Amino acid sequence: MHRLFGIETEYGITLENTEQIDTVQESIELIKSYQREPFLPRWDYKGEDPFRDERGFRAKHLNNHPDEVEEEKKDKERFATQPDRSFREIKSDRILINGARLYNDHAHPEYSTPECQSLFDLVAHDKAGERILRECAERRSQKLGQRVILYKNNTDFYGHSYGCHDNYLMDRDVPFDYLKTSILPFFITRQIFAGAGKIGIETEAGLATPGHFQLTQRSDFFHVEASVDTMHKRPIVNTRDEPHADPAKYRRLHGIVGDANMSEYATALKVGTTALVIDLIEQRLIPDTCAIANPIDTIRLISHDQTYHWMIQKVDGKMISAIDHQREFLEIAQKYLAHQNSETDWVLTQWEQTLDALENEPMELTDRIDWVAKKWLLETFVESQEIEWDAPWLQSIDLEYHNINVEEGLFYGLPMQRVVTDEQIHAAMHTPPSDTRAYFRGKSLNKFEEAVRTVQWDSISFDIKGRTVTVNMNSLADPEIAQKYNEALDLSPNPQTLVEKLGLL
Amino acid sequence: MKDKIVYFPKRKQRPVKPIEPRDDGDDSNTPKRPNVNRPNTNELLKRMRRVDKDQSRRYRQRTGE
Repeated sequence: MHRLFGIETEYGITLENTEQIDTVQESIELIKSYQREPFLPRWDYKGEDPFRDERGFRAKHLNNHPDEVEEEKKDKERFATQPDRSFREIKSDRILINGARLYNDHAHPEYSTPECQSLFDLVAHDKAGERILRECAERRSQKLGQRVILYKNNTDFYGHSYGCHDNYLMDRDVPFDYLKTSILPFFITRQIFAGAGKIGIETEAGLATPGHFQLTQRSDFFHVEASVDTMHKRPIVNTRDEPHADPAKYRRLHGIVGDANMSEYATALKVGTTALVIDLIEQRLIPDTCAIANPIDTIRLISHDQTYHWMIQKVDGKMISAIDHQREFLEIAQKYLAHQNSETDWVLTQWEQTLDALENEPMELTDRIDWVAKKWLLETFVESQEIEWDAPWLQSIDLEYHNINVEEGLFYGLPMQRVVTDEQIHAAMHTPPSDTRAYFRGKSLNKFEEAVRTVQWDSISFDIKGRTVTVNMNSLADPEIAQKYNEALDLSPNPQTLVEKLGLL
Repeated sequence: MKDKIVYFPKRKQRPVKPIEPRDDGDDSNTPKRPNVNRPNTNELLKRMRRVDKDQSRRYRQRTGE
């Protein structure tokens, strides 16, 4: 595929047999367990502004969950007694040699993959993040004398959700209104194959209906069509304007509506189909007839629907199934995007086969799609134990599906289809993708670690004989320019030669 | 409870591939579909029964993004 994309995943964290944990503290300590090198506060926060809105203004405030009022008081008390704890130490940002970012995001360990432009590179890097965090958890458990458990999921079943965001760099030329009206309906029906499944229906106030199996972890938490918020009153289309690239040329579609997928296949299909729909949006090929009448109600209705007919109403009043709605996007993609490259064709083929299976027999997808695999597990368990669907034990089974420990996690007991090998995942833990600017970031750290002063997604600063020289990586979103920079890095024995080759000295 | 042997659902074969991948001589990025084994689910049931019934009750997180 020919697009930069990446996935950010916030993990849930707890300690074995513990009623209450300080998730901020444990998240910080977990990240510190990444011990390849001593912690040096290198992440440059200057370029970050989550208030900036794609619609051309800066938001005055961001909404937050009501529980955070109390939690933030506790934060202030906690850090008042630890005056040596700087903001940077709390964030504990690590930039890894594979080009990824590992840090404490608020109260969750977060792994942001390096930017990839191969779908299967991205899946390998997403899984590499799991393995890196698993290693951190093992080290932290040994030190603590108590097991740390990490979940790649999106809810605590008490109304607190945390995200898995899929990000896509795209043309700034696309008017935001067109982007919003085109991607919003796609996001609403994408959940029929991208959902990770959940037992119970939640609101922000907590569990509302136990025992109801639904397609997604996250759909209960979306209340507006578009906004800059991410923590509360979440929008289906997030309008945060942080391209991390030349803002005159690019937008970053910050997709916050999806679930964290355990299945490699589901991750590939979720990101692959979305990337193709963005291709179509850039070519203005998505007609307004794809729009859905009541987006907020519909995203929940689909997720909750026990019939799996997933009927939706379009803006013209026509009723169709979510499967047929996805087929509308698929047919345009088949017409305009087929035969461009092998990854695109893989996505088109699997997209069609998945929609066919969802129509004929969803349980055929037990070895590929997370919500189907989880439903099969729960059904098997209910039958075996002769328990009711609202038994609290099932909620624990749901949670353990997402446990990233391969010896315990229920996902890892299933014979799921793979799209990458263990060797590819192992390599991704230490090696950046070779064809994006992530290579420049990761390799610079690996090669010239002592000289690296600060890092952002789109810049890296070196200390050259006491002088700070910043390489602006804005233009490296272009793969040809990235290739030239990456080659210059490979040919440079020291950072001074590198910046000279790049014409910066 | 008496153990039941439950098998992973059979996958139907789909004979028609709608789009033939372009023959560009470089399929290194295309994943190969591995064989899917049909496991005896006794091991899975054991794994599930080991799950602490109270785990989700104890599990509390703060809201994230």
